[in-house]
Amino acid sequence: MSSILKKTYEWIDKRVQLETLVEFMGKKYVPVHRHSIWYYFGGVSLFLFIIQVVTGILLLLYYKGSEQLAFESIQFIMSKVQFGWLIRSIHSWAANLFILSAFIHMFSVFFERSYREPREITWITGMFMLFLGMGFGFSGYLLPWNELAFFATKVGTDIAGVLPFVGKPIMVFLRGGDEVTGATLSRFFGFHVAVLPGIFTVLLSIHLVLVQRQGMSEPMGMEDVPASERKTMPFFPNFLLRDLLFWLIVLNVLAILAVFFPWELGKKADAFASAPAGIRPEWYFMFMFQTLKFIPAKVLFIDGEVLGVLLFGAAGLLWMIVPFWDRKSSRGEKSRLINYVGLFVVVYIIIFTTLGYVL
Amino acid sequence: MKGRTWQAIVALVVICSLTSTPFGVAADQCRTCHEALGDKPSTLFKRDIHSQKGVSCADCHGGVASAEDMERAMDKSKGFIGVPKGDAVSEVCAKCHGDAKRMAQFRSMIPIGQFKALQTSVHGRLSTTGKERIVQCTTCHNAHGIVQVADPASPVYPLNVVKTCTKCHADAAFMQKYNPSLSVDQLEKYRTSVHGMRNAKGDPKTAECASCHGSHEILPAADVRSRAYPTNLPGTCAHCHADAGYMKAYGIPTDQFEKFSKSVHGVALLEKHDLGAPACNKCHGNHGATPPGVESISKVCGSCHALNADLFSSSPHKKAFDERKLPECETCHGKHEIIAATDKLLGNSQEAVCSRCHSERERAKGYQVAGTMRSLIDSLELLERKAQLLVSDAEQKGMEISEARFKLRDVRQARLEARTKVHSFNEGQFREVVAKGFATALVVGEEGQQAIDEYYFRRLGLGVATLIITIVAISLYMFIRRIERSAVHKQTSI
Repeated sequence: MSSILKKTYEWIDKRVQLETLVEFMGKKYVPVHRHSIWYYFGGVSLFLFIIQVVTGILLLLYYKGSEQLAFESIQFIMSKVQFGWLIRSIHSWAANLFILSAFIHMFSVFFERSYREPREITWITGMFMLFLGMGFGFSGYLLPWNELAFFATKVGTDIAGVLPFVGKPIMVFLRGGDEVTGATLSRFFGFHVAVLPGIFTVLLSIHLVLVQRQGMSEPMGMEDVPASERKTMPFFPNFLLRDLLFWLIVLNVLAILAVFFPWELGKKADAFASAPAGIRPEWYFMFMFQTLKFIPAKVLFIDGEVLGVLLFGAAGLLWMIVPFWDRKSSRGEKSRLINYVGLFVVVYIIIFTTLGYVL
Repeated sequence: MKGRTWQAIVALVVICSLTSTPFGVAADQCRTCHEALGDKPSTLFKRDIHSQKGVSCADCHGGVASAEDMERAMDKSKGFIGVPKGDAVSEVCAKCHGDAKRMAQFRSMIPIGQFKALQTSVHGRLSTTGKERIVQCTTCHNAHGIVQVADPASPVYPLNVVKTCTKCHADAAFMQKYNPSLSVDQLEKYRTSVHGMRNAKGDPKTAECASCHGSHEILPAADVRSRAYPTNLPGTCAHCHADAGYMKAYGIPTDQFEKFSKSVHGVALLEKHDLGAPACNKCHGNHGATPPGVESISKVCGSCHALNADLFSSSPHKKAFDERKLPECETCHGKHEIIAATDKLLGNSQEAVCSRCHSERERAKGYQVAGTMRSLIDSLELLERKAQLLVSDAEQKGMEISEARFKLRDVRQARLEARTKVHSFNEGQFREVVAKGFATALVVGEEGQQAIDEYYFRRLGLGVATLIITIVAISLYMFIRRIERSAVHKQTSI
């Protein structure tokens, strides 16, 4: 058995020079410190993304992306297809856990200032992937073509429509017309299974290559610790196995959620029905949705909703380009402002998300 | 024409000058001159209730009643308006009839809201000329010969109302302009009804147009506020028919409204506001109100319950009921007091209606068929309930079982169909429908049970999977510990 493995390894090595890769992996070390735990959330996000790809492909075998058949095909998946209920439930839960894990990963990177030089591109690709992840969530939410998703998409695309000049064309582009119809469903289906995964894969490749090339970022101040006192662990196999351990725990949580809280299907969307009570977006959009509800209809001469969308846009942009304006961190100096900004954002998101569910 | 007017004026001037006395003028110079002329209005006005109450011509037409000189009497600057036209007619009446103080001066008990009621009624809409309302006070009450409503000479006296209303309502050309869909043969129908016949014989107590539609406040029957609107109609009929004192002379029961209110039809109409449920008129007719007889009762019920009536007509019961002169539907279901038909009506127990005629000894075949039908429909209901419980249980467990839930409707449909089939009194036909229900209920129950079994299978599967993943995770953890310990050991030994 071992000789067959050896022969196979040698056969591949002869063609792609595996030896260099093994040598690289053998020399790769991961810093060990009291914040090391946060390193694993990148891996967890990757694991959840892989689950999404696999379960998504399985769902594609039966899903039909049309106004007439979408709801019924999901019904079929859940009631007739062997383990279809499990695949759909895992896909829905993993999507939410992915966004949660990506948020944790982003904030840990932010507070550790791991975005500082030379990891600006890694940060920016990560941010784009988070936005794409939210796009995955928004487009995927409509695919079962149920009542809640239909009206939430209506509200969501309406918000995009308030942007000055470009809002209306964006809204029409997203909806495939003036209203949310079957055309919107086909479009969202296309975005969800082709456009977004394509872009995401490119960004993910860049992100992972950069992580491998540049290694894990060390917390601020570690440079001052003498090399002999710095703790590390080999990436292979120690860190990889720990990653695997985390993945198994996440898998267990996912299985429990999928079985005990199966994702509901609700009622089929009906464009002529009145909007049901309690329409709300997915939890990761809730803080923005709630803020827009609080802003008065008119602030000075600007529409409240337009102001809100513009403010969020500006805040998102500032957040994304933090490596370029936080020069202190790049110089290795501590910056309290970054801590305050980060804390404010975390507290803001928690409070407004909670308010969204309580009010 | 002009010449004639001048002649009348000259005659009027001569009469006025001859009737004036050197010692003073008559109290109402208008009447003095006009009565002398012998014109119709002044002649009619002599017996007018207003004349008797001291209302003068000038009170309605304006001008100076005491003026001897015609020019002065009909001086426009003194408020003379001549013959009022259009809406001004009703406004003149409302000057007194809409004023509580003035009406109190005449010790009148007539309500003062009539003009307002007329304005908001269907008759208060604009006429086709667009200048005035369709109906003025004088349209029904006349202008100068007005007498009290209780006076048989009044056009709105109960025996005359029908004629007054049909002046317009029987005129197809006139009605075409306002409501072409409204039939103009109400009077003919009315005369065929018990109400109409009694009215024609001179009974002022029987219902006429105003009894059901109201007088000044008449609204279209489709208006929810109308007395003839389906949900208000039973109350309108009951106004007389539930009044024991009023109905005493007619010798008919007065508890119909009370019974109807509690009946399945009454509850649906009056409490649930289901306009599909019948009001009195659906069975008794509107203007041609007639109580359905033994022969027609199944036709009346059958106008809504068509299938049941059809089945009954071709059943062996039809002949038996006809021979015994039994009213078809009413014999088992009652009339005004009809309660929701439950399965309890069927069978051979004491409470079942079948046992009123069928027993083990008399007409035993019917007794046996009724018992079989009851036990079959009971079994179907039991099976349906069991399937329903299984489906609900599976749904509560979060299982996707909408298809089975949908099929449950077929079971219910079969049970409803079976209830209808009872009216065929044919065991074979009944069994056929029930069998369909049995088959579907069994399938639904099986699907519900499968979903519940699947739920427990999932739980078990999760338990096994979690156990395996946990064992793998613990093993991995131990392995990591082992390799890290050996690494530390190697480092220390170096």
